[in-house]
Amino acid sequence: MRATGNILDVNDLNAAYGESKVLFDIAISVKPNEVVACVGRNGAGKTTLLKSIVGFLKPVSGTVVAGGENLVGLTPYVVAGKGIKYIPQDKKVFSDLTVRENLELGSYASKDYGWDKVYDYFPKLKILLDRKAGYLSGGERQMLMVGRAILGHPKLLLVDEPTEGLAPSIVSHLKDVFRDLAKTTALIIVEQNLPMICAIADKIYALSEGRVMAELTERDQIKPEVCEKYL
Amino acid sequence: MNLVRWWSGLVVAFVLLALLRVYLPLPFAIEILIFSIYTIGCSFLLGRVGFISFGQPAYLAIGAYATAFYLSYFGTNPYAGLLVGLVAGFVGALAVGPLLVRLRGDYFALVNLALAVIIYYLMQKVLVDITHGDNGLELLTKMDSTPVLDISRPGHLFIFVFIVAAIVWVFYKYLDDTIYGACCLAVKVNEDKLRFLGYDVFKVRLTAFVIANTTTALAGALYAIHQGLVSPEMSSPARAADPVVVTILGGAGTLYGPLIGSIVYTGMKDMVSKMIGNWELIVGFTLVVIMLAGEKGIWGTLEPRLRRLASRVTGGKFGEAE
Amino acid sequence: MLDIQLLTSGFIFGLSMGSIFFLMTIGLSLCFGVMRVISLDQLLYYTVGAYIAYSVSLVIGNLWIGILAGIVISALSAFLVERLVFRRIYERELPFSMITSFGILIGGVGVVKLFWGLVPRPVAMPIDAQVFVLGTEIPVYRLVVIAFAGLVYVGIWLFLNKTIVGKAIRAGIENVEHVEGLGINVSRLFTLIFIIAGGLSGLAGGLHGPLIMVEPQMGLEVLAFAFMVVIIGGLGSIKGTLVSSFLVGQVVSIGSLIYAPLAAMAPFVLMLLILLVWPTGLFGSPMLKK
Repeated sequence: MRATGNILDVNDLNAAYGESKVLFDIAISVKPNEVVACVGRNGAGKTTLLKSIVGFLKPVSGTVVAGGENLVGLTPYVVAGKGIKYIPQDKKVFSDLTVRENLELGSYASKDYGWDKVYDYFPKLKILLDRKAGYLSGGERQMLMVGRAILGHPKLLLVDEPTEGLAPSIVSHLKDVFRDLAKTTALIIVEQNLPMICAIADKIYALSEGRVMAELTERDQIKPEVCEKYL
Repeated sequence: MNLVRWWSGLVVAFVLLALLRVYLPLPFAIEILIFSIYTIGCSFLLGRVGFISFGQPAYLAIGAYATAFYLSYFGTNPYAGLLVGLVAGFVGALAVGPLLVRLRGDYFALVNLALAVIIYYLMQKVLVDITHGDNGLELLTKMDSTPVLDISRPGHLFIFVFIVAAIVWVFYKYLDDTIYGACCLAVKVNEDKLRFLGYDVFKVRLTAFVIANTTTALAGALYAIHQGLVSPEMSSPARAADPVVVTILGGAGTLYGPLIGSIVYTGMKDMVSKMIGNWELIVGFTLVVIMLAGEKGIWGTLEPRLRRLASRVTGGKFGEAE
Repeated sequence: MLDIQLLTSGFIFGLSMGSIFFLMTIGLSLCFGVMRVISLDQLLYYTVGAYIAYSVSLVIGNLWIGILAGIVISALSAFLVERLVFRRIYERELPFSMITSFGILIGGVGVVKLFWGLVPRPVAMPIDAQVFVLGTEIPVYRLVVIAFAGLVYVGIWLFLNKTIVGKAIRAGIENVEHVEGLGINVSRLFTLIFIIAGGLSGLAGGLHGPLIMVEPQMGLEVLAFAFMVVIIGGLGSIKGTLVSSFLVGQVVSIGSLIYAPLAAMAPFVLMLLILLVWPTGLFGSPMLKK
């Protein structure tokens, strides 16, 4: 495999759920510390793409290369161990466990017990440590999910619709967090909130019906109006 | 629909079965036929509707005991007895169906098992005055001879059961071809879609449940006549494995699976009992092996291949969608 | 009629039965809760636990060591079955695991028959003493059984709430995919859960031995009861299992005081009634598809 210096190279990716094909010849790449956005309508295949990268869905064909290694066929926990973590949509934290216990699980998995960086981004979590995660608001849950995922200094974070259903103030906070995170971690963010994602993305892939319709890298392309054209 | 093609499979199957009679001792042959009828209900539920039941013995017992009660206390006409058994099964299935069919798959399986246990205890202890408990109800002396086919005699019973089996198979094959049959498959694969299409999933399931278990009760009634003795043991939990194993062995949901499964199962049982007497070992491991190997069973694996072969040989006239 | 003495002994009898049910069904509940498989083979480990305890106690003369040996062998058996069979079927639908584990149970019964034969064996009670409670004589052994169940419940509670692996299991009961996405080796977790389940089932068998005769079909006879307990309590809930074990134990016990033939049937009727109102049991997990 040719070394490209990229954190992630996806090529010719085809994926299906049983008999029905969902992704067609997808190719994307992510440079270190890059913020890559994936936009598209519902059903375009964005979540499927993220799941295929991490291993929750085994692709029919194609390669997913990170760190010189093809990740296809590896189980998700092995992929996470290589520093590539998936933050699913729907803000599903472990409701029966407290915030502290959720973080403990993150630490146990990544062997990183330095929670200060989590508090730096999300000071509120420190106050909520002993609350059961099921009683958190949507914004607080998203904070917990991101905070939990950054333990272990991941190389790449795959974030699925983080701002869905959240108030503007929290969306703004998350935007700043992602922007700052990108200094140390590459990000692939799936988003429907175009203004927010255009403010921080270095590159945007527009997906439609399982295909990459456009790859937008220029400053004047990364705008909501331009994205809309390709959806 | 091409009539010849439709009937060809059935005719071939039953001619082969009749031939089998030449090689097998009579009790064996009857046993296989009745067992197949017993199993097709289970197979239909599992393979077509997606419900596994560990409690088929319950419905077998309902049919058998209904027939036995009739013959012991009310009349002596075996045909009437059979009818009573059949109706009892129908009523029973209709009575418990609405509750059971709402349950999730695994709960369904186990609640049916519970039903089998309830009936077991009922017959063994609670109603012991009329069922004679473990001693069972003896029927041989209670049946009249009947004109044309004297089903109190084994030879004629075989012919009768053969005819009944043929009718059952025609019925199930017909069912497959109807919209109802398609609904059943749909329920198994994607019930939400079926609901969106406007079908009442509950009704589909309930009907399937009643059909399958009435068939099972019919088998029970036939067993009562064949064995001449009905005891609670036929509903014991240990017997729950039989229809499941045969279903899987033959190929769940296939039309001829139960027949093949029955033949193989009965044959194996006989051979193994004579050799090592440790029946459970073989049954258990066979089941596991089949499941791990793809769960299609004998006929389930053979059928697609035979179809392709038949299609090639006859130039496409036979062998396609039957 | 029903006097205090009879009620007391019935109640304690019910408690001890409930204790055995509880030990037997934790495994079932956990396996379903985390792995979404129905592990009917747990009843095989129950049988194995009983038989090993019987044989070892025959040779060494001490039932407690026998029970310990039973736990070890059951856990080992569970481990082997998980590696060889369940590993391959986690992704399949529920009926699949039901049929396969049923096959393992039946096959295992055959193996037991092979080694020990058909004849039921009596197991000597390790403690013959009786104690007076509220005017009735209660066998101390039954109280010991109840104590064991209590200890196990506390132990499990501590494990699930105070250890990180236990927390991972609780998280797994909610959503195994997310646990995996965090980077936790769920494959090892599943194996661990299976071993724990098998061991507990073996303990149940070993403890139950002196109260009944051990015979090859014992797992099958108890199968219906075990499942009933789990269904009433709700698959996947430890608390539910505790409550329903207790409930079923009392129903059978007090029930047999009132009208013996119906007592064995009563729990099943109870289950049908409960399912009418709560289709997933008292504390059951919602109907989750993978």
